[in-house]
Order: sequence, then C-alpha cells, then structure tokens
Amino acid sequence: MTTAELTEPKTPKTRQSAGREIIQLPLGLLGFENVKQYVLLTNPAEEPFMWFQMMDDTRRAFLVAPPARLVPDYQPDISDDDAAFLGITDPSDAVVLNIITLRGDDRPTVNLKGPVVFNRRTRVGKQVIPNNATQYSLRHPLAAS
Amino acid sequence: MLILSRKPGESIVIDGRIVVKIVRLEGDMVKVGIEAAKEVPIHRQEVYDEIQRNNQEALTASRPPLSHFLTKATARPPSKPAPVFVAR
Repeated sequence: MTTAELTEPKTPKTRQSAGREIIQLPLGLLGFENVKQYVLLTNPAEEPFMWFQMMDDTRRAFLVAPPARLVPDYQPDISDDDAAFLGITDPSDAVVLNIITLRGDDRPTVNLKGPVVFNRRTRVGKQVIPNNATQYSLRHPLAAS
Repeated sequence: MLILSRKPGESIVIDGRIVVKIVRLEGDMVKVGIEAAKEVPIHRQEVYDEIQRNNQEALTASRPPLSHFLTKATARPPSKPAPVFVAR
C-alpha cells in the first residue's frame, strides 16, 4: 500500500493528494500553437503519469511523464537558445516531460524527440527538439519487457 | 511561391525582422543561416511535421483511466509490488 492510499482519505486538503500547476507555453505545442496555457494535473495514484490539460478545454489533455522511470538513460541535450528562452541557467531548473500516445489497445509509445521542458521557477515551458533528437525515437515503446 | 536567386553570402529579409542568409554550398546541400527573435520558432519541416502529427495522435478527448499496461512500464524490481492504479 502506498503512502498516498493511507493518507489521502484522511487529509482532504491536498498537497500530497491531487495537484494542479499552471504551465505557460508561449509558443504552444507543435501543431497546437494557439493553446498557450496548460494545467499539469498530478495524482499520486497515477504516478509517474500526469495529465497536461488545456486550460480552456478541460476535456483535452495529453498524458505525460518525466522520463526518469520510463527511459532511464534518456539525456536530451537542450540547445542554448531553448535554455535561454526558458530562462534555465542551471539544469536543476528544468523539468522534462515526455508525451505519451495511448494508441487504443496497442502498446503505448512515448515521444523522446520532442519533450516538453519547463522552468520550475517560472513555469514557462516549450516543446523543444533537443540537439541530439536524431538518436531518439518519436514512438519509443513504453512497456519495457 | 516567391522564388529568388541568391549567391552564397547573400541574404533575404522577411518582414523586416527575419534574415535568411545563404551561407555556402556543399555539393547538393545548401547551408542556410537564419536570424530571428527567439520567439520565432524555426524547425526543419520534416521534424516539425512528424512531431505535430504525433501530438495530434497523443491528444485525448476524455482523460481515459490509465489501464494496467502502464503499470508494467514502470514496474519496480520484483521484490516490491508494482503500484496499482486506483480507479477514479
């Protein structure tokens, strides 16, 4: 049993339970350039997965996850221009999220070529194409077996 | 489409704020330099196209419950039980 299961019903005033954080994407996501505000919805029961939901359309969301537990050796090389755009001066400022495609009954995949990176201090983000993107798959199989 | 002839070292100005310069020719490759404000996204078209298509495919209309196969993706070593998603 996880900590969340033990504490959640007794401590309804959040923090360790579901969370929401507003992320600004001044340039939107590729193909969704006009949608600039998202809410990152977290739920301990779904960890490490989170929903990256359009602020103005609560039905529309992307499933995302930090790569650490999905693809442990993933090391996107963020360009200097992107780091400057995001105001990232130290790697610890950067939060990396990868977009997951569920594909119905097929095996889900994760996009390693175009991660969403945001600055944890300013909560401004961008979908970046890392310098080393060619070595990563756009449709990396999620379930390692 | 507007088509202009340029020599290496020559440039094109777009909208008074984007400069596209032909840097040099290398066989059948053209090296192009682009100067623009950092708010102007610049991508190789094929990369842009495939990522935006993948984004379209990944968008969900109704945050579906995360089914059990996702737990396998992050399964911890067998000594610890894998986390079980709680139904919404």
